[in-house]
Amino acid sequence: MSTAEPIIRLAGVTKRFGRTVAVDDVTADVPRGRCLGWLGPNGSGKTTLIRCMLGLARVSAGTIHVRGREVPKDVRHALSGVGAIVEEPRFYPYLTGKRNLEVAAGFVGHEAFARIDAALARVDLTGAADRAVKKYSLGMRQRLGVARSLLTDPELLILDEPSNGLDPAGMAEFRQMIRSFVEQDGRTVFISSHLLDEVEKIADDIAIVQAGALVVHGTVAELVAGGAATVRLRVDDLERARSVLGGLRFVTAVEEREPSALDVSLERVDDESSIALTRALVEAGVGVAEVAQRRETLEERFLDITGERGEPRAEEDA
Amino acid sequence: MTRALLRTIVGRKGSFFGTAGVTLAAVIVVAVVLVVVHTLRPGRNPSIGGQPMLDGVSGAVWLLGGVGAIVIGALAGSYDVAQGTMRYLVLTGVRRIVLYTSRTLALLLAVLLALAPALLVGLVLVFVLPSEPEAHVKPSELGDVVWTCLLWPTVFAVIAMGIGSLLRSNGAAVAISLFFAFAAAPLLGLVHAASPAVGDLMLLPALDRVTGADEGAPLAAAALSVVVWVAAFWSAGAFRIARDEY
Repeated sequence: MSTAEPIIRLAGVTKRFGRTVAVDDVTADVPRGRCLGWLGPNGSGKTTLIRCMLGLARVSAGTIHVRGREVPKDVRHALSGVGAIVEEPRFYPYLTGKRNLEVAAGFVGHEAFARIDAALARVDLTGAADRAVKKYSLGMRQRLGVARSLLTDPELLILDEPSNGLDPAGMAEFRQMIRSFVEQDGRTVFISSHLLDEVEKIADDIAIVQAGALVVHGTVAELVAGGAATVRLRVDDLERARSVLGGLRFVTAVEEREPSALDVSLERVDDESSIALTRALVEAGVGVAEVAQRRETLEERFLDITGERGEPRAEEDA
Repeated sequence: MTRALLRTIVGRKGSFFGTAGVTLAAVIVVAVVLVVVHTLRPGRNPSIGGQPMLDGVSGAVWLLGGVGAIVIGALAGSYDVAQGTMRYLVLTGVRRIVLYTSRTLALLLAVLLALAPALLVGLVLVFVLPSEPEAHVKPSELGDVVWTCLLWPTVFAVIAMGIGSLLRSNGAAVAISLFFAFAAAPLLGLVHAASPAVGDLMLLPALDRVTGADEGAPLAAAALSVVVWVAAFWSAGAFRIARDEY
């Protein structure tokens, strides 16, 4: 298989539960050796898609190829180089961490037994390996889940909301570990999350899903660049400024943000446009206290796309 | 894979060691009772070992071992789904029917391991404890008891695993499996009143016949009936495992 071939290829993937469409016609390629953040609010079909990719659930339409093999037709070969955590890692609580990995290794093959100690060391659980999992903290169980995922020596790690329930220190540690899988090991990581901040820090590429549909897919830089750009003005006379700006043909929209501030959308946001804008205002007698070019942050872009920014609530208006 | 699954079954200490311990304790209690009654009235109870001990071992292992095997089997069927570990077994890519078959083998091994201490200790006591010549045990009698003590629990364990695989709750799996063994299966015997031929093919009469009863359906028909009963529950569980989404 060529390394240029995507490690995951989703083509028109749809999953319905009765009348509810959980995954809606998703088409995407996941390139090798990168970390993709699959980002979306709760209930946007992230886990359902992962379950389909892992052969745990059947698609209603479309095809899924993992490592060049179709799932679920050739699931055994497709998943032989995949490690995963779905929703949360589950174990036999009465067995030790190491015994749990031995059970998993029994399903993977003989070579997996030889990887157990290294996997435990990689997630820093060697010291707790002989402790029953029921005595593990949530963070330790997450790490043990990652150790179990490593038993296949995976080309691809699929991690569903892996930082759920972790404290800030645990999250930072987890991020570092995920990045090391990509940068040191050359593995591909597919990570789903509803936490933009988390994904932004880990991922090379981001896909944003809303109501089961893929809305945007690209590198972090591309997504930020694709966001709306505006010039924020602070002026002494909003009414006159509005009227002047309304007469400029390169101004596409004017929005009042604060008592004395306006966000002005332009055909093109650059120094030339900003200077022309300021000159027109000053010539019309409007006092300009501040001119700032600004571009939507990834968070604003995410909230715009997923519709979560919304209008202020009624009680806040009151 | 079977070894890995055996670990998960044996690791549930409450059901596995509980079964092994209670069955072994029952055999020892039988021996103690026989010693006591022999000491109190040696003329009326001349033998401790031999046939009286064999009867006691048979009853203890058949009944208590059977109950324990049902609990072990029901949990083998339901636990992974109830605990959420099933998806991690499935996403290894192992075919689900292979997983289910391996689990069945692991269950059979676990039941045999759980019953082995009681059965072995009991059989040793049959020969070690003193008995009159007329109470001596023939090899065929010994074989019958071993066969009965192993077949009944394993049959009900596999049926319980099938029931457990249909459910997503451990408690419900155990309760329904026990209900089937101790209420539904005996009630099915009532069919005999309407049709003796069909009644003989119900699970309990067929098992009785296969484990030494002189009356009932022809032996081959009874054996086939037991296989069909077990296969029906096993297949229902297999179907659910194959179809379910995790």
